[in-house]
Amino acid sequence: MPHSFGLRARTRYLFSRGFRNHGLLQTTTFLRTFRLGDYVDIKATGNVHKGMPHKFYHGRTGRVWNVTPRAVGVIINKRVGPRIIAKKIHVRTEHVKPSNSMAAHLKRIQENKKAVVEAKKAGKWVDVRRNPAAPKDGFFVNPRNTEFVEVKPVKYELLL
Amino acid sequence: MGFVKVVKTKAYYSRYQVQFRRRREGKTDYQQRHRLITQDKNKYNSPKYRLVARITNTDVIAQVVYSKIVGDFVLCAAYAHELPRFGVKVGLTNYASCYATGLLLARRLLAKLKLADLYKGAEKVDGKVFLVKPVDDKPRPFKANLDVGLARTSTGAKVFAVLKGAVDGGIYVPHGETRFAGYNAESKKLNAETLRGYIFGKHVASYMTLLQTEDEDAYKKIFSQYIKNGVAPKDIETIYANAHKAIRANPAPAAKSTKSYKDIKSKNLSKRTLKQKKARVASIKASYKARL
Repeated sequence: MPHSFGLRARTRYLFSRGFRNHGLLQTTTFLRTFRLGDYVDIKATGNVHKGMPHKFYHGRTGRVWNVTPRAVGVIINKRVGPRIIAKKIHVRTEHVKPSNSMAAHLKRIQENKKAVVEAKKAGKWVDVRRNPAAPKDGFFVNPRNTEFVEVKPVKYELLL
Repeated sequence: MGFVKVVKTKAYYSRYQVQFRRRREGKTDYQQRHRLITQDKNKYNSPKYRLVARITNTDVIAQVVYSKIVGDFVLCAAYAHELPRFGVKVGLTNYASCYATGLLLARRLLAKLKLADLYKGAEKVDGKVFLVKPVDDKPRPFKANLDVGLARTSTGAKVFAVLKGAVDGGIYVPHGETRFAGYNAESKKLNAETLRGYIFGKHVASYMTLLQTEDEDAYKKIFSQYIKNGVAPKDIETIYANAHKAIRANPAPAAKSTKSYKDIKSKNLSKRTLKQKKARVASIKASYKARL
């Protein structure tokens, strides 16, 4: 069999629409606004043939670096051999949607800001940095209140 | 009979995909709507305005609308049922009234945006092709795209009368002349005099005159409101000309009246008790039996 390495090879399921989602795209798709620097997810939709991304970029998240009347330019990091290359692609807005990858970070920014404001009001300092879980603190054991469990190897039993 | 293949099986129904709700209701053409509301992405959040023209049996609705993700917003609206304030008391959905409604919308919108003095539109209504021109070093004309909804876009359709009224009123709506009343597809020319006649209701006047000579009974039936309001065929052009003047003089909507709910009786009503309910049912039954 001759090889099949076309642009859209092996995208029968990747680009297809979900169950009962065929036909027209919903109106929200056309009313979104993208600004430079926004994080966007690329998700190719099969019923719009114009401005499709290459199948590699399906599911990737990137940043907007250009906005044109019908499409957005997105920078996506792509590993090529040992290197990571920032690839620049233009995708129609129907294949792009805002990303939630920054949602937790933005939420934390808001919380930190609020905590700092409240601490200043109270004349204190609050540590809002993220810290990994520290080792457990040491503690003294009271033998009277503690049940001792003896740990030793199980005695060998011949099973014949 | 022989074997009959069952086409709509359970599998068919479980896979059936419905159209959008308003499409199922027959209200929205989503192909049209998506193209009308999609703004160039490099214009970011600048609104893309639509001139919405809807004609019902008794009213003409003309609005300038823009869309956001949360829904549509109306920037300005004008209705044919406001035309009696400008002197048009009958014939609120004919071509001439559609034109007047579009004109009213345009002048009202431009007054709201403080562009009314800058863009006066075509003050002399002659039916010719008119498109507002930008003034140097001043804000550009207000631009909107015509939204006809589900109306059939035939030549001479009344939605294009609304368009013509709005354009003559000073709004920039990109359009050709091929759909106005008076356009001849063979010669590819617009007869301005014919269009002017439609704008001033001459087609209505000529039909009235025809019925008066041909069929007096039909005239009395069809034009009963005209007779009641004392409108004769020769008056119609004057009525619309005066309406255009009145609209240009003061296009503001009528002041909203604050409703008073003091005298509403319902606040004193209380629920009937069980005995009262039973007594009422019994009396109804008794009166029903008495009638038999």
